[in-house]
Amino acid sequence: MTDTTTNTRPGRLPAALRQWNIAVGALILGIVVLAAILAPWVAPYDPFKMASGPRLTGPTAAHWFGTDELGRDLFSRVLLGARLSLGIGFAAVAVGLVFGVIFGMVIAFSPERVKALLLRIVDVVYSFPDTLLALALVAFMGPGVENATIAIAISLIPFYARVTYGLAAVERAKPYVEAAQIAQAAPARIMRIQVLPNILQSLIVIGSIGFSSAILSAAGLSFLGLGVQPPSPEWGSILASGRNYISRAPWILIFPGLAICLTVLSFNLIGDGIRDFTDPKSRRRRT
Amino acid sequence: MLFFVARRLFTAFITILVVVILAGVLIHVVPGDPITAMMAQSGSADAEDIARLTAQYGLDQPIWKQALLYVGNALQGDLGNTIRGGEPVAELLLDRLPNTIALAVAGLGTALVLGIPMGFIAAVNRGRAADFAVMLIAILGVSIPGFWMGLTFIQVFSLHLGWFPVAGTSARNIVLPALTLGVVHSALVARMTRSALVDILNEDYIRTARARGLRERQVLLVHAMRPAMISVVTVVGLVFAHLLGGQVITENVFSWNGIGRLAIQAMLQRDYPLVQGFIVIFATSIVLVTTMLDLLYGLLDPRVRRR
Repeated sequence: MTDTTTNTRPGRLPAALRQWNIAVGALILGIVVLAAILAPWVAPYDPFKMASGPRLTGPTAAHWFGTDELGRDLFSRVLLGARLSLGIGFAAVAVGLVFGVIFGMVIAFSPERVKALLLRIVDVVYSFPDTLLALALVAFMGPGVENATIAIAISLIPFYARVTYGLAAVERAKPYVEAAQIAQAAPARIMRIQVLPNILQSLIVIGSIGFSSAILSAAGLSFLGLGVQPPSPEWGSILASGRNYISRAPWILIFPGLAICLTVLSFNLIGDGIRDFTDPKSRRRRT
Repeated sequence: MLFFVARRLFTAFITILVVVILAGVLIHVVPGDPITAMMAQSGSADAEDIARLTAQYGLDQPIWKQALLYVGNALQGDLGNTIRGGEPVAELLLDRLPNTIALAVAGLGTALVLGIPMGFIAAVNRGRAADFAVMLIAILGVSIPGFWMGLTFIQVFSLHLGWFPVAGTSARNIVLPALTLGVVHSALVARMTRSALVDILNEDYIRTARARGLRERQVLLVHAMRPAMISVVTVVGLVFAHLLGGQVITENVFSWNGIGRLAIQAMLQRDYPLVQGFIVIFATSIVLVTTMLDLLYGLLDPRVRRR
C-alpha cells in the first residue's frame, strides 16, 4: 500500500505540475473546461439553428469546423458539446463516488462473513465491463441524458467501492480506530468522522480516474442512440448523426471525435501523472 | 491441484448464478409496469398476451420466486421469447454467437500481436526515447473511443482506398473491426507487458544470467520474457472482458452480425427478454474465459494454486 495521503498535500501541488503528463493534461483539460463554460458566449452561431450556412460544407473562415447535414455550425455544436460531456462525466463521477464510498466503508466495517459475501458480489459486478453495465441499465431505464448519467454512475460504483474498501480496511486496522471503538463510538460515526477525512485525499485522486471512463461511456451510449438524444450536440450523438455522411463530409467525423479523444486523454494523462507522483516505486525508477 | 480446480469452478458457477439472478430481476428497473412497457412495444395488447407474459415472468409472484423462475428456465436453456416476433431468445443469440466469438478472438489476437512487442520494446529501452514513444502511443490508444476509430478506418480503408467492404459479415469484413478492437486494446496489453517485464528485469537472476555471459538476446527472450508472459496471461482475461464491452459498439459500427448488434437493436426496441438473454450470455462468456485463464495460470505457476 502506498502512502498517497502524505504525498498529495496541497503544498505539493506545484511540484505535481512539474510532472510533464500532469502539466499537459491540465492544460488540455483547462481549455476544454473553458470552452464548456464560455460556450454560449464564444459560439459564433446558435448550435441548434438549421441552415446557419450551406449544408455539408467543409471548414471555412465563417464555419471553422464546417457545417453538418442540416447546415448547423459544427464549431458551435462541438463547443456546446463540451458542456454536456463534462457535465455528464462530473455528475456520474460525483454520484458514483458517493455511493461507492458508502458501500466500500460499510464493507470494510462489516463482520468477517458478511464482508466476504459483499466483496464477492462487488467483484462479480466489477468483472463486468463498465460500458456494458451502463448499456444494460440504460436498456431497461430507457434512453435520455438523466438515465444515461445514472447508468454511468452506477457502473462506476463497483470500482469506487473496491478502492474505498481497500483504503478503509487499512485505516480500520490502525490504533486510532481501535481507540474510537473502545470509546464506544458508533460505527457510522467512526466511518464519517475518523476514517473518511483520512482517506479523502486519496479518494479524490482516484475519483479523477473514473472521469475518462465516464466520458467514453457517455459518448458511446449517445453514439448508439441510448444516451443524449438529437438535436442535443453531445459529441457521441453528433458522430452518430454524421456517420451517414462520412464519405461526403469527413469533418463531421473528425472534430467531435478529436474533442472526445483530447478530453479523455487529458484525464488519462493526469491520472497517470498522479500515479507516478504518488507511487514511490515508480518515482524511484525514474531517478 | 484438484482442489484448486474444483474451487475455481465452484466460484465460477456461483458467479454465473448471481449474474443470472440479477438479469432476471433487472426487469424491475423498467419505469412503471414492465408488462405495459413490453406490450406497448409489441403493438397488440389483449388480455391474453398480458396473462401469458405475467405467467412467463411470474410477475404476480414475490420477487425471489421470479428470480428462481428465471434461473430455473435459464438452466434448462430457456431464456424466454422475444416480444417482437416471439422467437426463442436463446436460439437467436446462439445463432449469432459464432460471429461474435470470431471477432473477439481476432480482436484479442491483434491486440496481443501488437501489444506484446510494444511492451517489450518499451521495457527493454526503459527511460529512453523508444519507451516514451511507445507509452505515448499506449495512452493515446486508451483515450480513443473505439467507435470513432472504427468510423475513421471505414473512411480511410473502405471509402477512400477501397481495400475493404464498408459493412457486413464475412471473412474479408472481419479485418477492420478486428483491427479496431486490436489497436484500442493493444495499448492495455503493452502497458501490462511493460510493467511485468520491467519488474522482472530488476530481478537478481537476470543479473546472474548476464554475469554468466549469456547473450543479451537469450536473457531477454528466454529468461525474462517467459515469466513475463505468465503475468500477461492473467491480464488477458481482463483485456478480453474489456474487449467484449467495446465489441458491442464495434459490431454496430461495422454492421457485424454478432450478439452485440442484436443486443443494441433489442435495447432500442425495448425487447427486454432479448436484452436479459444478452446479459446472461455475455456475462457467462466473460466468467468462463476468466476462469479458464485462471486455471491456465495455476498450471503455469504452481505458486498460484496454494493461494
